[in-house]
Amino acid sequence: MSRESLSRRTFLRGLGTAMALPMLDAMLPQGALAQAAGKTRVNRMAFIFIPNGVNVPLWTPTTEGGLQLSPTLASMKNVKNKVSVLTGLAQHNAFALGDGGGDHARSTATWLTGCHPRKTDGADIRTGISVDQLAAERVGRKTPFASLELGCERGAQSGSCDTGYSCAYSSSISWRGPSTPNAHEVDPRAVFERLFGNSSPSETAESRARRQGLKRSVLDFVLDDANQLKKQLGTKDQSKLDEYFTGVREIENRLARVEKINADPSLGSKMPAGIPQGMGEHIRLLCDMMTLAFQADLTRICTFMIANDGSNRSYKDLGVSEGHHDMSHHGGDPYKLDQVAKINKFHAEQVAYFLEKLDSIHEPDGTLLDNSMIVYGAGISDGNRHNHDNLPILLAGGGAGTLKQQGQHLRFAQDTPLNNLFLSLLDRMGVHAESIGDSTGRLTTLI
Amino acid sequence: MKNAKVRTRALLLTGLLPATTLLYAAALPPGHAHGKPAGGAAKSAAMADPKSVAAGFGHDVLPLVRTYCVGCHTGKGASAGIDLSIAKDASAVLKDRDSWDRVAQNIASGHMPPKGSPAPSGPQREALVTWVQNTTTAADCKLKDPGHVTLRRLNRAEYNNTVRDLCGVDIHPADAFPNDDVGYGFDNIGDVLSISPLLMEKYIAVAGKVAHAAFQNPDELLPPILFEPPRLTYLNQGSRAGDHAVLAALNAEAGCDYTFPVAADYLLRAVAYQSQAGPDSAIMQIKLDDKEIAVQKVFSGPRDPKPVDIHISVPAGRHHFSVVFTNPFHDDSTTGTRQNRNRDRKLNIKALAIVGPLRGPNALSPLAKQLGTIPSDPAARSAIARKFLADFVRRAYRRPATKEDVDKLVHYADLAQGQGETFQQGVEYAMTAAMCSPKFLFRIETDIPGVTNAVRTTAKTPGKSGLKTAGLKADAGKFFLNDYALASRLSYFLWSTMPDEELFNLAAKGRLQDPLVLTAQAKRMLKDPRSRALSDNFAGQWLQLRSLDSVSPDPQRFTGFDDGLRQDMKTETEMFFQAIVREDRSILDFLDARYTFLNEPLAKHYGIAGVQGGDFRRVTLTGDQRGGILTQASLLTVTSNPTRTSPVKRGKWVMENLLGTPLPPAPPGVPPLSDDNKGPLVGTLRQRMEQHRANPACATCHARMDPIGFGLENYDAVGKWRVADGDTPVDASGVLPDGSKFSGPAQLKQVLMRKQTLFVHCLADKLMTYALGRGLERTDRCNLDDIVKSTQKDGDRFSALVAAIVQSHPFREQRRDKGE
Repeated sequence: MSRESLSRRTFLRGLGTAMALPMLDAMLPQGALAQAAGKTRVNRMAFIFIPNGVNVPLWTPTTEGGLQLSPTLASMKNVKNKVSVLTGLAQHNAFALGDGGGDHARSTATWLTGCHPRKTDGADIRTGISVDQLAAERVGRKTPFASLELGCERGAQSGSCDTGYSCAYSSSISWRGPSTPNAHEVDPRAVFERLFGNSSPSETAESRARRQGLKRSVLDFVLDDANQLKKQLGTKDQSKLDEYFTGVREIENRLARVEKINADPSLGSKMPAGIPQGMGEHIRLLCDMMTLAFQADLTRICTFMIANDGSNRSYKDLGVSEGHHDMSHHGGDPYKLDQVAKINKFHAEQVAYFLEKLDSIHEPDGTLLDNSMIVYGAGISDGNRHNHDNLPILLAGGGAGTLKQQGQHLRFAQDTPLNNLFLSLLDRMGVHAESIGDSTGRLTTLI
Repeated sequence: MKNAKVRTRALLLTGLLPATTLLYAAALPPGHAHGKPAGGAAKSAAMADPKSVAAGFGHDVLPLVRTYCVGCHTGKGASAGIDLSIAKDASAVLKDRDSWDRVAQNIASGHMPPKGSPAPSGPQREALVTWVQNTTTAADCKLKDPGHVTLRRLNRAEYNNTVRDLCGVDIHPADAFPNDDVGYGFDNIGDVLSISPLLMEKYIAVAGKVAHAAFQNPDELLPPILFEPPRLTYLNQGSRAGDHAVLAALNAEAGCDYTFPVAADYLLRAVAYQSQAGPDSAIMQIKLDDKEIAVQKVFSGPRDPKPVDIHISVPAGRHHFSVVFTNPFHDDSTTGTRQNRNRDRKLNIKALAIVGPLRGPNALSPLAKQLGTIPSDPAARSAIARKFLADFVRRAYRRPATKEDVDKLVHYADLAQGQGETFQQGVEYAMTAAMCSPKFLFRIETDIPGVTNAVRTTAKTPGKSGLKTAGLKADAGKFFLNDYALASRLSYFLWSTMPDEELFNLAAKGRLQDPLVLTAQAKRMLKDPRSRALSDNFAGQWLQLRSLDSVSPDPQRFTGFDDGLRQDMKTETEMFFQAIVREDRSILDFLDARYTFLNEPLAKHYGIAGVQGGDFRRVTLTGDQRGGILTQASLLTVTSNPTRTSPVKRGKWVMENLLGTPLPPAPPGVPPLSDDNKGPLVGTLRQRMEQHRANPACATCHARMDPIGFGLENYDAVGKWRVADGDTPVDASGVLPDGSKFSGPAQLKQVLMRKQTLFVHCLADKLMTYALGRGLERTDRCNLDDIVKSTQKDGDRFSALVAAIVQSHPFREQRRDKGE
């Protein structure tokens, strides 16, 4: 039904429809359900971002071919055969290209979009659609949530984030449209509530249905208002209202999808209490949420910013009392390089936890890790140089049988676009894209 | 091509800023730059006769362009698409002001002519740049272009405050929203505020909660006033250990002082747990003003500290609320194999809290009162719902309700009732729907025929010949805001919330178009407690107070710094800002003032004697160590690194936020950082930085940033006064590129005071950006110049600055959006 054709009183309709819908009282993880029914294997995709580059020598495996874990990635030992390190990839559009400073903002805004962000502090923000959202547009229709965006840090609250760039750039890797960043959720509890609802278990099916129905009619009500308003506005203002329309429709679609499930899909897991004190626990809790969301097939696409780029938090638990960003400008100082390596190692340990967790969950065709593709890495290579080539990138998972030869260290020709990797991954999600950013083709050695 | 465009945008943005001549100084040899704002010069050009403009072009521009530029910038294939060969006279510049602004920017910053090509001298560059600036500004001023503010949604702070005033519930529901992105330094910029599906979901979830809370007993929603361990006072060996207070000795006590606003019932709460030793649980005695009011055994352990609530009537005024440990126990037995077992019984306190004044179980919320008793007759009930929702939607949409608005809501409430919900739930559903409507979430400024624009036919505005009717005959490209939109602009600017009834009433009468009424309202609003929003949201971002929450000074180096001191630092600056706003003081107080606000811990941190207790009070400053925001620990801490000060960050902050002279983009040819990978620099911080500056490409900027930062070196990374950094005596001297010399913060402030016009310009720029919710454009330059002049004429008072802003074209008018 086209929204534009909504009459003033269409909002009545939602209520009746919802009431009539039957409820399913049994619940299996949907991915498993789909697979058990003999459908094609479900594949998932997640992107995990770390800021400020890495200590390159300690990150990079010294030999090519069969993967010898580097000191930074040593914690991946239990999933070593399902992980590959990809060296030599570049995100060329994150370089200044005449725009001067601002590599941190560009590294995030370009990482998954492959586009050179427009240098602006606010008016006319523009980069590109990110690869996760390209996939979400297609694959997202199959699950209640088209995609899930997570992060440990909220966006900046004041000041300028990076020379001349709006903070929207440095705190967003996921871009729904070229001008619309996807906000990320930082509180594990809020993620849980969002994924699984917070209705009390004692609520009757009838009352739940009524609530759903009224919720739908709120959507009809507000869409009617928005349509009315749209006529009064000019083009620039309309684009703001369009974001509103998108948001409402997204929820509408979700309600429709959720109705088919409507039992507790949380698989009995406990709701987290909130944002924990320690960063390690924070990362792991958010990883748990991703795992649950994949497992219950609530979404197949995730992005996770472990920190926003330029993040200057200190890691006191690791004995790093200086700020991460300050240390990343190491100037060759062995002490600072060591501090950076400590942080890199710590992040990798949390990701190893995530990968092992995915690998511990069994689906009909292998583990959850076997049916996923996890990209982990940064948009800057060496924090001291702010360079966006030779990026630290790790690819984990079996891609639902499409990545058969993991456990490699693959070195690509200097300046091979990172976007080539993304095209290769999109193929494996069943999403065809001609090109992304400066892509020149697929990574054919990735098999 | 695309890149050229991008760069232009960035350069234009820098060009908007007032102190253009200083900005240009980066590329000019010392001695050619003076801190004179371009505005003043622009004004004189605006008044200059066409002849001198033409002469200036012939003398200062044309010869240089012909000599140095047209080689590349000619014809169809001109570099960057800029053809300068066609410019024969001043009119060519006026016709293509955008391009010429780029020309001026690129010449000023040293980007053009490119490295290696013949280039004009410093004075020649300055003459060309000044002429172009003055000429384009003068032309822009004639346009009286108010600019266009992109449709703004409420940001988090505005949402919280608006539902507080709309529904009478102060529950900060938007704290769970994703952060609003920041542009131009603020989080209320229309272009940057977007709605993600995540946010839309939260709107719907939160609106239902707010609507429900609106009818709850207000006591249930009172936020507890929290006193956490750093804010507690201790007696008899009571002390703090990390995030909790430990009471182990007999009569060890932790307490807090609080001024109870009225005589009423309150809830006194202690969140406690015990470390058990021996057979008994810890006993907690609860006291008010040293009189026992309750005794309670504490059973819970560290994993689940439980609140103990005492309901008590308290007379108005200051009282001391405390908890005392009365049954210490020491287990000195040598038997037992359990390791780490508690040998001492302890009472641990996570927090004390006060909730109140309580209004009792029968108290009604404002909206419950308004809804009144619900009759059983359906028709009467429907009439009540209609009346209630009509008033609600007027306030929610911040303009008179249309019949259609009300019909829809009433219908919706009926519908929910028809599904088996109660009458009140039906009303709640309707309120929820209204609070999810774009009419609530966005600030709509276009007119609704017959509803919001009717009043404007009678509105008056000063014209050349006395008062004339505003708005009706505005040209096609722009329009005067209707009164309701204007009321919202005022209230969201000064209060970050919806208009109050006084503003609504004035809007209904069309009175807000009268500049005198507008100014009087602005002054009234500044004195109102709700103007605290300016300190939370404007100052919180301008002075980076919000960032203070996330800094983490190294605890080993800065032992005195804890969360208590962090909060105290923030409070000082907030109170200082609020004093300037509410007492309508000179904005130059920001640069230097003989007063501040301190409590005992902060006074001790500053080495100021005679301030006792945790309460903040105004303190008159003597000596020259403190005074003005530059000397406040909050700012000094957020501009430092975790382990040391950062003169660069401090200097940069002053340039960007006090002087409005941000640094130009790095000049071409700055070597990539990898080149200084040769090894760590050695020596003191100052020596290391001077080595860094030895690179001439770095020197131009650092010669301007670093000295200011060095002038503040007497303050360590948490703002404590020092005369030595480790074993090295502090050298707080510096010389600015314009020759100003100083030694120490007091003299640095004097230098800044001499640049006060730059400061007023800078603050006006920031406050205007915040007031409008958009980045300033080139065409705003002359508006800013006017605002600065009128502020200075009125003794630099804060209200003068605000009055000038609310009366300006951009605040009262709006350029039409395309297709509108």
